[in-house]
Amino acid sequence: MTRRVWSVLKAGGAIAVATLLVAAGAEVFRTPAQESTPTMGGYEAPVDVDTAGLPGPRQPIFYRHDIHAGQYEIDCRYCHYAAEVSFSPGLPTVASCYGCHVIVGAGNPEVQKVRDAHTNGVPIEWVEVHSLPQFVHFPHMRHVVNAELECQQCHGEIQRMPQVYQFASLKMGWCVSCHERSTYADNPERQVTTDCTACHY
Amino acid sequence: MTDEMNRRKFLKVLGVTGGGAATLAGCSTDQVEHLIPYLVPNEDQIPGIATYYASTCRECSAGCGVHLRVREGRAVKVEGNPDHPVNRGRLCGRAQASLQGTYNPDRVRQPLARNADGQFDKISWDDALGRVAQAVSSANPDNVWFVTGNEGGSFDRFVDEWLAALGSSHRVVFEPFAHEALRHAARQVFGVDAVPSYRFEDAEYVLSLGADFLETWISPVEQARGFAASHGFHEGMGRYVHVEPRMSMTAMSADEWIAPAPGTEGLLALAMAQVILADGLGRFPTDARRLENTLASYTPDAVAARTEVPAEKILRLAREFAAVPSVALPGGAGTQHPDAHLTAAASLLLNYVAGNVGTTVVFGADQNVAGGSTYTSLRTFQETAVASAPDVLFIHGANPGYATPAAGAAFAAAQQNASLTVSFSRFVDETTAAADLILPDHDPYEQWNDYTPRVGVRSLQQPVMQPVFDTRQTGDVLLEVARQVGGLLARRLAPAGDGATYKDYLQNQWRRVQRDLGDRRPFDEFWREALQRGGVWGESPRRTMRLAASAATLTAPGWSTPEGQFTLIAYPSMSLLDGRGANRPWLQELPDPVTKMTWGSWVEIHPETADGLGIAEGDEVEVTSPDGSIRAPAYLHPGLRPDVVAVPFGQGHTAFGQYATDRGANVYRVLSAQPTEFGGVSHYAAVTVQPTGAHERMAKTEGKRRQLGRGIAQAVTLAAIHEGEAHPFHMAPAAEPPEREEHILEEVAEMQREATEYGPYAYEQTRWGMAIDLSQCTGCSACVVACSAENNVPHVGADQIRHGREMHWIRIERYFEGGENGEPLEARVLPMMCQQCGHAPCEPVCPVYAAYHTPDGLNAQVYNRCVGTRYCSNNCPYKVRYYNWFDMSTPEDPRTFAWPDPMHWLLNPDVTVRSKGVMEKCTFCVQRIRGAQHQAKLEGRALTDGEVVTACQQTCPSNAIVFGNLTDPNSAVAQLAADERGYHVLDGLNTTPAVTYLQKVRNLVEP
Repeated sequence: MTRRVWSVLKAGGAIAVATLLVAAGAEVFRTPAQESTPTMGGYEAPVDVDTAGLPGPRQPIFYRHDIHAGQYEIDCRYCHYAAEVSFSPGLPTVASCYGCHVIVGAGNPEVQKVRDAHTNGVPIEWVEVHSLPQFVHFPHMRHVVNAELECQQCHGEIQRMPQVYQFASLKMGWCVSCHERSTYADNPERQVTTDCTACHY
Repeated sequence: MTDEMNRRKFLKVLGVTGGGAATLAGCSTDQVEHLIPYLVPNEDQIPGIATYYASTCRECSAGCGVHLRVREGRAVKVEGNPDHPVNRGRLCGRAQASLQGTYNPDRVRQPLARNADGQFDKISWDDALGRVAQAVSSANPDNVWFVTGNEGGSFDRFVDEWLAALGSSHRVVFEPFAHEALRHAARQVFGVDAVPSYRFEDAEYVLSLGADFLETWISPVEQARGFAASHGFHEGMGRYVHVEPRMSMTAMSADEWIAPAPGTEGLLALAMAQVILADGLGRFPTDARRLENTLASYTPDAVAARTEVPAEKILRLAREFAAVPSVALPGGAGTQHPDAHLTAAASLLLNYVAGNVGTTVVFGADQNVAGGSTYTSLRTFQETAVASAPDVLFIHGANPGYATPAAGAAFAAAQQNASLTVSFSRFVDETTAAADLILPDHDPYEQWNDYTPRVGVRSLQQPVMQPVFDTRQTGDVLLEVARQVGGLLARRLAPAGDGATYKDYLQNQWRRVQRDLGDRRPFDEFWREALQRGGVWGESPRRTMRLAASAATLTAPGWSTPEGQFTLIAYPSMSLLDGRGANRPWLQELPDPVTKMTWGSWVEIHPETADGLGIAEGDEVEVTSPDGSIRAPAYLHPGLRPDVVAVPFGQGHTAFGQYATDRGANVYRVLSAQPTEFGGVSHYAAVTVQPTGAHERMAKTEGKRRQLGRGIAQAVTLAAIHEGEAHPFHMAPAAEPPEREEHILEEVAEMQREATEYGPYAYEQTRWGMAIDLSQCTGCSACVVACSAENNVPHVGADQIRHGREMHWIRIERYFEGGENGEPLEARVLPMMCQQCGHAPCEPVCPVYAAYHTPDGLNAQVYNRCVGTRYCSNNCPYKVRYYNWFDMSTPEDPRTFAWPDPMHWLLNPDVTVRSKGVMEKCTFCVQRIRGAQHQAKLEGRALTDGEVVTACQQTCPSNAIVFGNLTDPNSAVAQLAADERGYHVLDGLNTTPAVTYLQKVRNLVEP
């Protein structure tokens, strides 16, 4: 089913996905009530979320970026630890999830899944949302460190997403639209390249 | 990890980025990819960033240090360890392909046992260990035999201790090319059983009596480095004379190739020694005078007739040899005739009278090649086994069922007689195919071990990743068997309650090493540092040698062939060695540096001889000796005496996996099983050669053998350089364009002007360039395999090669010069890759701009843009663009799929895997350039010269390739590009290549 969902998402967009999810008999998913916890930046993630209405693929665990990155303002790079040094941003290991969730989130069945994964030594198979073909080499570290871009510029308002979906098209025209705005000639300081071999080799 | 599915899942856990995507070309997005993070963070691994682990290459006895590049938990590339004293960061082609052994689809994936039908059944490790323990318990200890290859480290000692504790003394070490002749000679001349180190870098004159020291002999990478230091062009560069009936790859680098009558190289050396001694030319020790009587009869005049080398020439060689620091090498495996020990002894005597022993020939720093006469000890086993059946026969790291005369028939018979044969092989080779139990060992890169390349150098191996299959290290298997057998075996090696592993044994050995070195740090600290460096090493010891009494009893070597017959020379294949490399597709497809043959056997015949026999190239010939016969196509090689034919070792496997089996002929079938006086196999045989009438189109990458005045691989004599006349040949520009085309050229010029004055091309930029010094390049082809490994270049197979569809982005072109009208034959080599032309003919013809010029001077090829018109390839004068005629990257087509599971694990994740219909080519390892640029940017600095190292440059044993920025006048490459020897290939086409070749320099004798 996931495969069909994914293809429709690519083709048609979020509404179609939502319909399909319901049509395919997906449960209406609700997160259990949160305990009242202090919010740091004033944003409070919604307690109840109807997953049937959310864009993006269903993940094996209903991990909520809007709670972690939004409500608690955990720095993206806490979990995506390699974004400043590597092409790949890195995914948090189950052990890093467990580091907090050994204490917090007891009673939440989704958190229990993380705890089970840790206890049983079974890795979590997340569904990839932002996928590039293998002939594209995208250096995260250059965009985070040198270009000083916010993650949100490419990934959208991730701190408001209960379920992550693909915000930008990630097609070449979209990449180039940004690169062309600050090409070498216009801005020798930045030296942003539009050379093909910057990404394709 | 009990079943296949779980194991695979487990390994998937290790890969975070692009899991499984490596072979999925195109932009299909309807496939769900999963991202599977680690359970527990691995402190050594950051996704997307490579980790390097030090280990040791075990493909031959040289023991080069390696760094394994590991990405997301799997090794993807082997590179030399720059600290290692043997190879100083460089590697040969066999080492570059060693990961194709690790990820070979034909590896034994779990223990196997032969059933009643003679087939192998999968069994569990518990079952396998139980069966071995049972057999050992019930065996007569003195009837347990253990055959190993050249282990040369702690495992060597471990096997001895294990056997001793069991009560057996039947250890057989079998190494096909074990330098028995040289050892025998060292015993006779100096009374020591050793293979010395040869210091090429300290010699200004190299005389090889057939040793292929740049290919397989002793330690090729180390020797290539020394040879380049001696014979690469510099003020006072050395001279190199090669004496052998066949022009080998090593001989192609010689300034003078002398082809004496087969078997008489030693006579020539004795005559040289006689001249030096009689004329008092050398700086010889006083006791050399004792040799005067022995040598008296070997005057140049006396040996001229038998060697077929004029006396004046021998006289001249002797004078040259004695005049400067020199080194004489014995014969190699390719000149191992029954008197090879006398050749070797002659070389040692010659070195002694020239005062080289202790300077360029160093005893004490002995090379680790298996001790003793390994073939005779194998024969002893074979004879004993026929008389009294062995109860248990263990085999580890050797394939005597293939690499002995008659293709291992005698060993197979002995093995048949054993009640139980247990093989620890990673592959089902010929010996293992006849075994009863297979307990597969880890790959060298998956195990704890060590190796001693030579005295004073101890090199470590560590597991660089999780084992690919359900294998176990043989040391651990033997410990577990000891535990189950009990008794003295268990008490000595695995005391009760002690869960000791082979790693513990290894560490105990290293505690001793630390003590011997006088290192007082905590062991853990010492161990960690040794692991990081790849081992420990210091100054190699030197021993002073004095002539033994037996030195004076030397007799004359010789070899004769009956009238009407030919001398067959069986020589080691540079890529397959004795045949152990035959299951690596990169090595099978690597063109032989001399004949450019791939994927098979051939018989080298001199063109004149072939004429006489009515043989054309590609005709199948039958080579028959009293011991057997083989069939292979004829290759007409001008670098061969007319009375000699030559066949390489390595092919003709009857087992050993999909890439090796039923390919070519095993030349061991025509060699005599009778051991020679020095205890080895004679690689010479008297044979008849008959055409069979069959003919085949040969799978070779050779184009024209002659340069036809194109000035591709150029050479200059040293004398011309000294006279200031190193003027490379420049191709005349093409004729003036016809009038009707002038306006087109003007338009193009205007377009080019615009292109360079606006946009990113308008600025002062890097221009990446390369300089290749042909005076250092030997044609060893390590760069070819390194390039394949770095750039995911697939093999295409023999049929595609026959169609001229090879994929090597870098190739070694070989041209013959001279050899006619009494002129000496000369061979030249030239590495040819994309020249990254400034005015690239490929670029304007691409209809989709897939081939274009980058601002930093690369002729880039955008694979995802290419639509496969092949116009670029048609327009390329260097023929360095390669087209994917078939899909080598998808498992759907098993006929052409180059990366069957788990071979695709060695794909470089930094490089696109190309699919069908796409043109591909060298772009100076652009992924490395971009990687280095990223790193420099992150650190807020500029790139430094030498920071970007291409894969071919990295591995080059003789340091012939230099890469860098041509627009920086201080860069090494810019300075070399301005050298007076520098030239561009086909420069008359106005392509302005970024690759500058520096003429080969021939140190010829003044006329």
